[in-house]
Amino acid sequence: MDSLRIPILKIGDILIASIQVSLHDASAVQFKDDLLQKIYDTRARGVIIDLTALDVVDSFIGRLIADIAAMAGLMGTRVVLTGLQPAVAITLVELGLELPRVLTALNLEKGLSMMQRLTEESDDGPA
Amino acid sequence: MAQPKTAVVRSDLDIVIARTMARDLAKAMSFGAIDQARIATAVSELARNVFLYAGTGKVTVREIDKSGRKGIEIVCEDQGPGIPDVDLVMQDGYSTSRGMGMGLPGARRLMDEFELKSQEGVGTKITCRKWKSS
Repeated sequence: MDSLRIPILKIGDILIASIQVSLHDASAVQFKDDLLQKIYDTRARGVIIDLTALDVVDSFIGRLIADIAAMAGLMGTRVVLTGLQPAVAITLVELGLELPRVLTALNLEKGLSMMQRLTEESDDGPA
Repeated sequence: MAQPKTAVVRSDLDIVIARTMARDLAKAMSFGAIDQARIATAVSELARNVFLYAGTGKVTVREIDKSGRKGIEIVCEDQGPGIPDVDLVMQDGYSTSRGMGMGLPGARRLMDEFELKSQEGVGTKITCRKWKSS
C-alpha cells in the first residue's frame, strides 16, 4: 500500500504541516523525508507541525518528531510543534518521552507568532 | 459485556488497527480521554514490539470485571523468538532494534497491571490491565 502523504503548505518562508490522521510507521517516515526535502527546496526558515488532530502519539512517532526537529535544526530551520492534546502530553511524559529540545506552542496561532519572533531574532543576529 | 476483539499484527498498518480497536473499547466502556490515550498508546507499543521482533502476532482486548470493578484487559501474543532476559527489556532505554527502548517499560507505566511471560524459541505473551477509577 502506498503510504499516505501529509500535505506541507508554504506561507512566506514558513512551512506548515498539519497531521490530521493517525499515522502508521511508513507514512510517518515518508513525512520526515518529504518535510526535509521541502525545507531544502523552499529554503524555509521555519516549520510548524500541528498535531491538534492526533489523539495518540506513541514512542515511535514521538521519536520521529524529535528526529525531524534535530535534522531540520542541522539544516538551519526551526521547528515548532503545536496543538498537543492534554492526553497526548500526559502519555508522552509517562512513556518517558519529554521531547526536551523541541519547541512547542499551545496552538497554531501561538506557534506562528513564536516562529515570527524566532526568525526575526535570527535576522538581527550576526551573519 | 462486549465480546473480546482480536487484531492480527503483521504490518505497521495493523499497529494502528490494534490501537484503534483498543481505544474504541475503552471509549465504549466510558474510560476518560486520558485513560483512552494511555490504553491506545500502550497497545501501540506492544503491537509494535510484535511487529519488530516476532513479525506476526495478535492483540486481544476485552472488558473484565473483578468484584464489580470494571477494567480492560489487553493480551498480546506472538510465536516469535522470545525474550531471553525479561528484566533487561523492562529497563528504560534498553533496545535491540529500531525501538527507543521505551516500548515495554513505557507500556507498563501507562497500565495498572503488567505481566510478561516469554520463552526462548516459543514466544511471548504480555497481559496488561487498566481499571476504571470508580
